[in-house]
Amino acid sequence: MSQSLKPYLTAVRYSLTAALNLSNFSSQEVERHNRPEIEVAHQSMELLLNPMHISRNEHEQVLIEPSVNSVRVSIKVKQSDEIEEILVHKFTRFLEQRAENFYILRRVPINNNYSISFLITNQHTETMKVNKLVDFIIEFMEEVDKEISEMKLFLNARARFVAEAYLSEFVY
Amino acid sequence: MEDWRRIDIDALDPENGRLTAADLTKPILQTGEPVYSSQDVQGIMGSLRSYASSGDFTSVVKLITAQPVYFADSEQTKDMYVKQVVESLAQCRTMEISKIVSGLTDSECDVLIKFLYKGMSIPEGAKQGTILLAWLDNIIEKNGSNSIIRYLTDRKTV
Repeated sequence: MSQSLKPYLTAVRYSLTAALNLSNFSSQEVERHNRPEIEVAHQSMELLLNPMHISRNEHEQVLIEPSVNSVRVSIKVKQSDEIEEILVHKFTRFLEQRAENFYILRRVPINNNYSISFLITNQHTETMKVNKLVDFIIEFMEEVDKEISEMKLFLNARARFVAEAYLSEFVY
Repeated sequence: MEDWRRIDIDALDPENGRLTAADLTKPILQTGEPVYSSQDVQGIMGSLRSYASSGDFTSVVKLITAQPVYFADSEQTKDMYVKQVVESLAQCRTMEISKIVSGLTDSECDVLIKFLYKGMSIPEGAKQGTILLAWLDNIIEKNGSNSIIRYLTDRKTV
């Protein structure tokens, strides 16, 4: 693991563990409703806790927004050039379309600054182990970088092969 | 009006019971928490700059944690101060950080962590992410998640 990646992941791990201290909380406004308070547009401020921004650099950031019964984690995956931007977009879209299989994945990132968002509610922390949830997100962050750079290498290799095959037609 | 079904009628009710950020900070202000004017903040920033340029980072951290600007006359003043804090903290060498952090008390760590999270949320701080993370990492090493939990619930924000 590279030298600057370790503090980044440690910070995310500890911040997330601290934030994942959730309890069941019924809506204060609508009777018999129970919603993730962080997702409610007009929520009361006392239900939200201070958000945590963790940045390794401009391209790699995590935003953790905790509330009384839910935590929203948004991740900005490294995108250093246009190819990576396209790959990250396609990859996260692929995952988001299958969001129900991941339980905690949000269908859209919170805004354009982030590539992918997770929403963890008190139901998730009650039915799943919290430290495993944290492990999952950390592992996701590690793997997604690897995956994207691997895809980029394949893409370049394929492009080179295609270009060679195509242009060899014109050699006389 | 086309979108009348989406009007949040509860927001128009003066007795809706919703608390705003100002409602939550009001009781803190009543305890006599100092409100800094932009001149005061300029003064603190000046001493931060001079400590940082002479390489005395223990004093930098002590000053940051002793006089955190929680309430100022305007948001710009607070932003300006956070930028200066980030700049000063980023000048510290990675080797020195663990020594400085080990000399801090728990409440000083709690204040410093507020500046670190806030600093990483602004573009200037995100550029210096590696060094701010080194500070955060050392606090975590010293205090575990204690400081982070206290950060989450503290309404006195920088």
